[in-house]
Order: sequence, then C-alpha cells, then structure tokens
Amino acid sequence: MKNIIEIKNLHKVYARGTHALKGINLNVKEGEFCILLGLSGSGKSTLLRCMNKLIDSTSGEIRICDEDVVSALGNNLRRIRRQIGMIFQQFNLIKNLSALTNVLTGKLGYVSLGHSIMFTQHKDDVNIARDNLKRVGLLDFANKKVKNLSGGQQQRVAIARALMQNPKLILADEPVASLDPATADSVMKYLGELNKKDNMTVICSLHFLSLARKYGTRVVALKDGEIVFEGSPKEIDEKKFQEIYGEDAEEVEIK
Amino acid sequence: MKNNKIKSIIQAFFTDLLFWIYLWGCFLYLINSWFEINLKTSFVIIAGLIFTIFFLTAGISLGRKIFVPTKFTNIRWNKTFWGWSIIVVLAVTFIVGWKLVEVNPYKFFTQFKNAGGIMSGIFNPNLDILIMSLTALAETIYLALLATLFAIPIAFVLSFFAARNLMPKTILGNAVYVIIRSIATLFRSIEAIVWAIIFSVWVGIGPFAGMLALMVHSIASLTKLYSEQIENIDTGPVEAIKATGATTLQVWIFAVIPQIISPYLAFTIYRWDINVRMATIVGFVGGGGIGLMLLQQQQLLRWHNVGLIIWLIAAVVWIMDMTSAKVREKLVEM
Repeated sequence: MKNIIEIKNLHKVYARGTHALKGINLNVKEGEFCILLGLSGSGKSTLLRCMNKLIDSTSGEIRICDEDVVSALGNNLRRIRRQIGMIFQQFNLIKNLSALTNVLTGKLGYVSLGHSIMFTQHKDDVNIARDNLKRVGLLDFANKKVKNLSGGQQQRVAIARALMQNPKLILADEPVASLDPATADSVMKYLGELNKKDNMTVICSLHFLSLARKYGTRVVALKDGEIVFEGSPKEIDEKKFQEIYGEDAEEVEIK
Repeated sequence: MKNNKIKSIIQAFFTDLLFWIYLWGCFLYLINSWFEINLKTSFVIIAGLIFTIFFLTAGISLGRKIFVPTKFTNIRWNKTFWGWSIIVVLAVTFIVGWKLVEVNPYKFFTQFKNAGGIMSGIFNPNLDILIMSLTALAETIYLALLATLFAIPIAFVLSFFAARNLMPKTILGNAVYVIIRSIATLFRSIEAIVWAIIFSVWVGIGPFAGMLALMVHSIASLTKLYSEQIENIDTGPVEAIKATGATTLQVWIFAVIPQIISPYLAFTIYRWDINVRMATIVGFVGGGGIGLMLLQQQQLLRWHNVGLIIWLIAAVVWIMDMTSAKVREKLVEM
C-alpha cells in the first residue's frame, strides 16, 4: 500500500513560545484507520491542523497524496484541502443554516464563487448532498436548522459535509469528545464504515481506548509533542497506557 | 530593569506635573475671579514645576504612588500625602465647576413663571398646524430612514476590513484595519449636529443636509458595531469552511455572514431608531424636517405650535422605541 501521508521531522512553535510538536515523523498508508492518543495539550490537534495547513508548521515536511502541503498556497492549497475532509469536536457547523446547506458547503473547494452562491439552484449538487444526508440517516432533517439538531445528529451532518468533498482522507479531531457514549459509538460507526466500504483513510484523535481498539488499525500516541508509542491497538496494555497518560491514569471503559 | 525604572520615573514626573499644573491652574482661576488680581499663567507653570520636583523627590507624590511601587503600601490612604492631594483636587474641581457652569439654585426655584409660555403651550397644543407638522415629521422620519439605508451597504463592506480576525496578519492587513477603525472612530466622535452644520453649508439648509449628516455618523458607528460583531463570531465554522478548500470570499459568505446577519439587522434597526431621534436635533442646525420647524416656531415665540410639535416628536420616538425593541427581540431569537 502507498503512503498517503508522509511527515518528516515536523516542528511547531506557537507565537507565544509553546513548542507543540517536537520532530514528528509519521507515515500513514492508504486505507488505515489511525488513532491518535494522548492528553489534552499533547499536540494532537496541532498535528491534525498542520496536515491541511489550518496551522502553519514551523519546520519539517508534510506530504499528502504526494503533494507538498507546507509550501502550498492559493489554488494548490485549495486542491489539497478539498480532498481532506475534517471533523471537529464542536462540529463547527453553521448553526442557523439548514442541514442541507451545511452539507453543500462541503463542495466549496470545487466550485466558483457564483456557483456556490446559487447552490440550491444546482440540482446535481443538491442531489448528492441529499444522498450524503441519507447515508448518515438524516434525510428527514435536511431542511431543519442545524441548531435544532442534537449533538450526535450535528456530528453526522458534519460527516455528510466531509463526504460531500469526496475525500481520500478524513481528519477527525476528537469527534466524539462532546457526545454521550452511545452516540459516540454510533458516530464512530459511520467513520468506520467510510474507512472500510469507501476505503477512505481516517486519522482520528480519541480519548477512549475501547473505541480505539474497536475501530483503529493503528495507534499513534503523543506526549508533549513527541510520538511515544506506535503500534496496533491490541498492544496497549495498562503499562503502556500509563506511559501515555501519566502514572495516575486509569482506563475508563465504555461499551 | 534599569530602563523600566527610568520609564516609570518619567511617567511619574509627567503625572505629577499635570497634577500640579492643573491644581495651580484652578487656584489661579479662582483667585483671579474672586480677588480681581491678575496672576500670570507663567506662575502656574513655575509653581507646578517646583511642586512636582519637590514632592517627587520627597517620594510622597501621586505619580510616585502610581508608577513607582514602594514597600510601604499598607498605609491607609487618608494618612498619606497622595490621598489628601486627591481629596484637594476633587474639591477644587467641584468649586471651579460650580463657578464655570454658573450654577444658581436661587434662579431655579424663583423664576418658574418665565417658562409659563411654553408650559401652557404644551398643555394647549395648536391643532391647526397639525397637517403642516405631520408633513415636516414625515420629512424627518424619511430622512432618518434614507440615512440608515445608505449607511448599511457601506458600513457592511467596511466592517469586514475593520475586523481584526478577518484581516491577514501582514503589514498591509494591519494598516487597512487601523486606518478604517481610526477614521470610523474619528467620524463617530464628531457629533451628527456638527456634520449637519458642515452639510447645510455644502448642499444648503434642508432635509438633504440632515440626511448626509446622519449618514456619515451612521456609517462610522455601524462600521464599528458590525466589525465588533465579526470579531465575536464563533471561529469553529470559519475553520471548518476553510478546511473544505473554500476561498477567502467563500469563507466570508458561508461562515461569517450567516453568523452576523441577525445581529446586523438588530443593530441597523436600533440605528434607525437613534437616527429618528437625532434627525430632530439635526433639524435645529439646518437639517430640515420637524426640528427646523420647531426652531422657527420657538423663535417666533408661538408656544402653542411648539407644544404640538413636542407632542408629535414624543409620540414618534415612543413608537419607534417600542417597535424597534420588539423587532430586535425577535431577531435575537432567530
């Protein structure tokens, strides 16, 4: 399998002096479901945001689908970003627009300004958006304002928005951290399905080891901006877990 | 470290200098007006300098207290020199203010009968000029409406460039931000009444001058309100839309505008409300409408006409206030 992500010696130092990433080397193969573990502040979010240049890295190399992300600008950056779907902890939908319009925004990287303003006039786009909503089981909510949906439903709209991009890669930044355990699992199920059925590569930061074992094909653990563990989720025992999360940590089981 | 110390001593020096010059200036004004002797202004500066140097080196002055921290901070303020100097300056300010404003309670309580004309006018408004007044009133309301309408698109566009979170962190981006913000603040600090004087010379006395005056003022204040609204948006959707590969303009349209549209409308309606009120005042200095009519009738001492106009203005302001509050309430829920 080909590498879809190649990261070499990546550093990120924030303007205030925080050294968030300290020389990350990471390769991710096509079709992997890669889980990022680590405490809050360990650099997971920064790493994910460097991959689509929402954050500029300080030094190092990032290649995605054989394209250089670090130096990409303008149209090049746009082309790279549109093949990377992104899911956020806070869903980051536009709350006073309908679910359908939110899904349609996933297409923005492909269309002109004029086209995007007249989105609802483009039948083919609308049909694809409806299909994507159907896939996450929310077709009946298409015309509802997003702020009237529950957390789990909002995250599924966000997944449909990512699907609209027709991405090769999905970055998920703690997608279930603000959901209850049952909803969390159902959202993870959709991500798992995209990974298996659609062969999308998924990189997902999580806090729950049980979910990591269930869905992940590989685990990468970060601590203070460095990779401290890389391997199969099954290899993480109590000792490894405490290395990652600190000595006082205890695993919380969710089913 | 040493630089800091020098800086704080310089700050303390100028604070003290300002303090003493102000205090001696006040004394000078009081002495000159009470005793009718003519002390020179140079006296103020010399006295100020001497006091500054003396009390600063003595280490007990106000500037010293503010800018140069000392160990003895737990002394009660009323046992300190700086504490008493604040009391003295407040007292002197009050006395000077009383004199400058020509406060005279005696007049207030004994000369009520002078206002008899206008009072009887208010309670016996002249309904014969109702139609004429309503025409002038319509002029005022419409000039306020047009001023608001013209201001909206201009302020809308400007507000994007006056929002710190949207402007790129480059020299050009910063310059655009600073320039628009400064001009908006400057234009807003010039009262609409001053703009009305300028425009009544420019385009002649009448509602058009009033409209231009309110428009300039509205653009300035709406730009500020709008851009502050943009600075307060949820950045999550902006990040998410950026991540889809959207262009900057698409990010503005899909992630920024939907978040600000209802507060924008609320501000705009509030602005119209303010403009109707200001339109009356602006009329006084040549801005046309009901304000101009009020001025004319007042100068002719036709108190019954003035009475009617006052009632009409009050009614309009009251209705505008009520409806705009209701509409804004609805918009916030949206």
